[in-house]
Amino acid sequence: MHSGENLELLMARYQHGDFAAATTLIDQISPRLHRFFLAKSMSRADAADLLQETWLRIHKIRHTYRPGEPALPWFYAIARHIRVDHYRKSVRAAAGERELEKMTKGASPRPELASELQALLAPLSESQREVIAMLKVEGMSLEEVARATSSSVGSVKQKVHRAYKKLRETLAVTALRKFRSGELA
Amino acid sequence: MKDREIDDILKKAAPASLDLDPLVLERIGVSIKSSLGPVRPLPPVWLMTAGLILVCAAVSLAGAARMGFFGFARMSLLERALVFPALGLLGCLAAVSFVHQMIPASRRRVSPGALLALGSAALLAVFAYLFRDYHTKDFVSAGIACLRTGLVHAIPAGLLCWLVLRRGFAVNAVSAGLIAGTLGGLAGVGMLELHCPNFEAAHILVWHTAVVPVSAALGAFVGWALRFRAR
Repeated sequence: MHSGENLELLMARYQHGDFAAATTLIDQISPRLHRFFLAKSMSRADAADLLQETWLRIHKIRHTYRPGEPALPWFYAIARHIRVDHYRKSVRAAAGERELEKMTKGASPRPELASELQALLAPLSESQREVIAMLKVEGMSLEEVARATSSSVGSVKQKVHRAYKKLRETLAVTALRKFRSGELA
Repeated sequence: MKDREIDDILKKAAPASLDLDPLVLERIGVSIKSSLGPVRPLPPVWLMTAGLILVCAAVSLAGAARMGFFGFARMSLLERALVFPALGLLGCLAAVSFVHQMIPASRRRVSPGALLALGSAALLAVFAYLFRDYHTKDFVSAGIACLRTGLVHAIPAGLLCWLVLRRGFAVNAVSAGLIAGTLGGLAGVGMLELHCPNFEAAHILVWHTAVVPVSAALGAFVGWALRFRAR
């Protein structure tokens, strides 16, 4: 599932100061991290900004990667940390904007990237959405998702089970609606 | 609807955003190039764990040496054989958990909250089994003095542990603070068991054990404050 089989090796070389290894890692990991950010109701520009912020953090704390350990969850754990920080900042900013809107009345709406995936995952909780995105969209293993989200494999399995239950219900309702509207037409 | 069908729907709905602007990648490469140099990875987990245990033991022993080993002197052999190994074991578990909190994507078996609950419950069980004097004298005043003494030792122990692991990176500062506080709290309880000669069951069960959750709560608060400041 991984785009590169030797991420761990590249990471070890990156820790030794190898620029070629660093650029290869950037090329291999960035598209995945970018998609990870996009899956969280984010515009492309915001996702690109967060990607750069993530790489700066990765670079700063590259010594915390332990040679021999899986590298992919390490990248995602840092990306997740950056995303959570961004989310908290945006919540605070949104609260400020709401205050401003109340005062000015009629501010222009923010452009949002509404993808099919976001709509599909909308009924799920934030943690369920995150786990589903990593597991089913990014193709990570249960163990990798558990490491990236700082939780146990059992907890990830439970979240997936609950998310699928909810998705099954939502999809069944959607299918029923489509069927009824087809019948009426 | 089967799981496989949901998998297919999810895959089809996923954003195909692998076409990332090459300029963004180039910019990232340039931004890290100037400061690219060899770095020394973190030491092995066992070494960092041993460092934390040493710090906690040193704080407990130094505190008891300053205030007197009255509790240890009054304890029976059975009490010594159960209380200190239990504290040591819980300290090891907390230290391992703290080390894992400071390494991103490290494998976690027990959450810091669960470890705090487990540690407090285990201490209560050991104390309830060993100390059967159900009289109470100066319950609040003596208790608050012990809680204060425990925290006075727990806080520096927690801070020193944080200092030992300062090269790490906590992806969740609140959890890291909670477990650092738990570890410091165990050091505080260790100091109290060495020092306090009050073996009333209620005193030990309430005021000695309380050092762990109170210290953990302080640690979590510090973690939250640090995260808030970093924003």
